[in-house]
Amino acid sequence: MSAGVRLEGLRKSYGAVEVIRGVDLDIQPEEFVVFVGPSGCGKSTLLRMIAGLEEITGGDLFIGDRRMNDVDASRRGIAMVFQTYALYPHMNVRDNMGFSLKYAGMKRDEIRRQVDEAARILGLEKLMDRRPKDLSGGQRQRVAIGRAIVRHPEVFLFDEPLSNLDAELRVQMRIEIARLHSELRSTIVYVTHDQVEAMTLADKIVVLRDGRIEQTGTPLDLYDDPDNIFVAGFIGSPKMNFLPVEAQGGALTLTEHGGQTVPMPPVGRRLEDGETATLGIRPEHFRKEGEANLEVTVEIVENLGGETYVYARQGASDILTIATGGVRGVRQGDRMTARFSPSDALLFTPDGMRIR
Amino acid sequence: MAQTRLGRNENAAGWAFVMPALALIGLFMIYPILWSLWMSFQTGRGMNTTFGGFGNIQRLFADPIFLTALGNTLIFLAIQVPIMIMLALVFAVMLNNPRLKGRGLFRTAIFLPAVTSLVAYSILFKSIFSNEGLATQVVAFFGGPQIAWLAEPFWAKVVIILAITWRWTGYNMIFYLAALQNIDRSIYEAARIDGVPARAQFFRITIPMLKPVILFTTIISTIGTLQLFDEVQNITQGGPSNATLTLSQYIYNLTFRFMPSFGYAATVSYVIVVLVAVLSTVQFWVARDRR
Repeated sequence: MSAGVRLEGLRKSYGAVEVIRGVDLDIQPEEFVVFVGPSGCGKSTLLRMIAGLEEITGGDLFIGDRRMNDVDASRRGIAMVFQTYALYPHMNVRDNMGFSLKYAGMKRDEIRRQVDEAARILGLEKLMDRRPKDLSGGQRQRVAIGRAIVRHPEVFLFDEPLSNLDAELRVQMRIEIARLHSELRSTIVYVTHDQVEAMTLADKIVVLRDGRIEQTGTPLDLYDDPDNIFVAGFIGSPKMNFLPVEAQGGALTLTEHGGQTVPMPPVGRRLEDGETATLGIRPEHFRKEGEANLEVTVEIVENLGGETYVYARQGASDILTIATGGVRGVRQGDRMTARFSPSDALLFTPDGMRIR
Repeated sequence: MAQTRLGRNENAAGWAFVMPALALIGLFMIYPILWSLWMSFQTGRGMNTTFGGFGNIQRLFADPIFLTALGNTLIFLAIQVPIMIMLALVFAVMLNNPRLKGRGLFRTAIFLPAVTSLVAYSILFKSIFSNEGLATQVVAFFGGPQIAWLAEPFWAKVVIILAITWRWTGYNMIFYLAALQNIDRSIYEAARIDGVPARAQFFRITIPMLKPVILFTTIISTIGTLQLFDEVQNITQGGPSNATLTLSQYIYNLTFRFMPSFGYAATVSYVIVVLVAVLSTVQFWVARDRR
């Protein structure tokens, strides 16, 4: 029932402004793919192009084996869930879910059966006679998902479906969507700007910036092995620390951190003496042990209970974020030594590409 | 509850502020309304009136001119209001299409009649539909018959309906356009993806969502048509042979053109009040929320 999606050199322009600049992507059947990126990166536009809501300026779109560039949205075998839910406000839950089936020529009994089945999957049975205005945000979004399910689409498209929900509901619905995917085994393309959603839901994450794909891979691939400084900074929370360095006799001098030296991370090529680079180190990679250490002064402490984030500086350097685990008793103004193992650190060229 | 002195002072100041407005409303609205109700039970001509009980109401049913005026008004109502509401809806939906070029221009053009003077446009329509008028010439140009627009009862009614439709369609359209622009675009995108045809989108999504606005415009249009006066007074003077005479015009005639019959005119006025109340109730009932 589920189909793959293939994008080949996909482009989109509004007049002279190019918003999607040649995207190639292969989505396997049953795969859960998440488009993630900052505001304005083109992730929603790309999804709407797959949906048929935006015209394609260049390149080819295939769903299954069919080229879909000029096929009407209703004939692409897709269903979409919108950020604003897009429910019909004057219809009750049952009619909202069954409305499209009427126009697909389905018999009334069959519609009823399909809608009841979707309601059962989503736990909506008791709400069937309510109107959207009498439902909570999470319930509305479940109805919107139900409306997609009854059509048995080959591909589900989700456009920031959880952005209008509060934090607690968002976590609940996230789990719900993951459960649905494992139950329905359908292809899902999901857009979000929330990298936690991306990390937890995706089989494959596509990081977009300025209408281009920066990197594609499994969540852990992107976390452990980012191709460039943008992906490294975008994936992971809190954000990775970036320290300007200069190679000096097989070690790295931290140019903005009082000229301190740390061992060179294991990379495939030798850096010339005097070559500048950026050292990337995740907050959670600072530990009690490690060959490299930084002397810092604590500026702000965030105690989350199970985790403590320390924001610290070394002289006039940029702020470093350090995750200290459950360590308590750290105060503003304290001096501390942040240690890390060079093998956990990543190196980037001045133009942001990874040095492997 | 015991009031503090500050509270009393504030109350006095409040009343002082609203008093001028209340006095004017009382003098020019509430007093005439109550007085006309009293008058509607008076019979007689000019200032010579006596209490006549339900005499005026009995007179209504035996008055052929009143019955003609009532019939004309209801015909205008039954034909013009639905046509205008449908037209306004269609225009609004068309103008709401973001891909339409020159939307602002069309919107202004369609709304503009609503801000023209009633008398000025009535005179214009009178000239367009005169014997040598534009409409007559256009019909003749296409080989149609010579129509005496303002001299034949049927065509005179058509001219009045055309005139008020021209004047008020844009006015109603603006309400629909405002309501349409408040509808989340993704509702239509969802419908498009779900394969709901355009016709069904209009009748099953747009119209139900605009229902409160449609109800509102239907009621104000109904009230407006029941009070129809300016157009008929200026275009046809109620003619030919009372074919376009409306209730408001009849009230005017009873009061100012014939030997003044204030009591009976007040009774006819209350017929309009009753009609508005009844029709509005019916419209609310038809548009009620069925669950």
